[in-house]
Amino acid sequence: MHAVTAMGGNAMIDNLSILLSHALLAYVFWILVNRDDLDSEAPPAPDPKPQGFAKKRPLGKMDKNPSDTPNA
Amino acid sequence: MRDLIFLAYIAGLMLLAFKRPFLFTLIYAYLDIVSPQRLSYFLLNSIPLSLIVFGLAFSSFFLIEDKKNVRFAPRIAMIALLIVYCGATTIGAEEAVAATEKWSWVWKALLFAAFLPLTLHTRLRIEALALTMVICASTLIVTGGIKTLAGGGGYGVLVILINNNSGLFEGSTISCVAIAIIPLIMWFMQHGTIIKPDWKVKFYGIALIGACLLIPVGTQARTGIICIAILAMLLLRYARYRFLYLGAAALFGLAAIPFLPSSFTQRADTIKNYKTDESASTRIQVWSWTWDYVKEHPTGGGFEIYRQNRIRYKIPITNPEEIAMDGRTSKDIVDQGRAFHSSYFEMLGEQGFPGLLLWLLINLGGIWRMEIVQRIYRKRNRDDEKWVSPLATALQNGQIIYMIGSLFVGIAFQPFIFMLVGLQIGLDTYLKRRREEAAFSTLAARAGITAS
Repeated sequence: MHAVTAMGGNAMIDNLSILLSHALLAYVFWILVNRDDLDSEAPPAPDPKPQGFAKKRPLGKMDKNPSDTPNA
Repeated sequence: MRDLIFLAYIAGLMLLAFKRPFLFTLIYAYLDIVSPQRLSYFLLNSIPLSLIVFGLAFSSFFLIEDKKNVRFAPRIAMIALLIVYCGATTIGAEEAVAATEKWSWVWKALLFAAFLPLTLHTRLRIEALALTMVICASTLIVTGGIKTLAGGGGYGVLVILINNNSGLFEGSTISCVAIAIIPLIMWFMQHGTIIKPDWKVKFYGIALIGACLLIPVGTQARTGIICIAILAMLLLRYARYRFLYLGAAALFGLAAIPFLPSSFTQRADTIKNYKTDESASTRIQVWSWTWDYVKEHPTGGGFEIYRQNRIRYKIPITNPEEIAMDGRTSKDIVDQGRAFHSSYFEMLGEQGFPGLLLWLLINLGGIWRMEIVQRIYRKRNRDDEKWVSPLATALQNGQIIYMIGSLFVGIAFQPFIFMLVGLQIGLDTYLKRRREEAAFSTLAARAGITAS
């Protein structure tokens, strides 16, 4: 019933709008299907300076100068 | 014919989704926003499409998806709590039949909003959902914009795809949503990776923003005018040349006035003359009724409780001929069953103080979290994270526009807005995990130095 109303004088504009958005959406879906990073992505690069919990971490053995460690 | 085309189209999307099951989530968003079932004659109406797609999205997530990157957030729990609370008020609703009908779509919108963040664990998924929402909304906005340009607008006259006053097809709702997504469109014009922001994307983006701005003109929804004003103020915050921006905005506003239909400017004028405007006065009376109601029923009356209101008030007569005829300067207005015309009062009346509090926490929580996110990422200033802060700002601006627009429209449970909330939560949990991973990599790298 509603669709009958929609198909009135402005039907051409409606159809153009529907066509445009649906074509775009299909194009986006096609791109997404072919993108590997949709489901998983590479881990982020390390922060140049410690951030978040790494920043709060007190200086431990691993933070000392490499020359202090027996293996250095 | 239209039915068959839609059916073939949806079948095609679903075929792609069987290859990448996350797409079922996007198809559900598409079905919810565009409602192709409403655009068709009979075929799509006879198939429970939304239910099937939601089932597929849900089951593929729980059965196939790797959950190691899935994160939980307090706001997901709040949405879940709101579902339970609304369910409880529906059981005891005074308007039982109407309440059950509203509940039948509200729980789905809330459940989907709670489900979305669990699925959004890559940047591409976040972007894909945002783009799907914008494109789907554009189905309604483009047609509304072109019809307005062609002179087909008018309050309650502009037909956006179907002559139906529900969901996004209602004038005030689409006006608010159209303006709320403008910041997202602007983000895609600069930072999108699905469709690289070349000149074609920028051209289409500008055209779409134009159509969004035309929606309040076409629908003559005063809410939309307020939303445009809020958007203009919000964009000022990060404008590089503020005075230039202010000048350009004022010039654009002034230049647009002669092109606006006189019916639009007359209707906009009623914003300041609300005392003589019956529609605005009725709202104030309904809000007053709601406040009195919740003082007696603090946990709310359940969905659609407004149907019980009976209001009577006086408004001043401004027409001199009318005054001269019967000598009165005001007239009595008697009304009943008037809708809330405000999301805040909708929540208050229907779900009482606990429901309103939960709803505010969910929505204002989004504005607050997006503020935190954008500040963190402006400070981090990493090249690979340049997209984050503008996206958080866009989502925050969209939410603010909705929160102000919804002061005057009863769209507390609008599924599109709850998708926006889900998107914000997904972005937030995704970024938190990525920050932790980056910080852990730093620690691991330093540990690697000492161990070598």
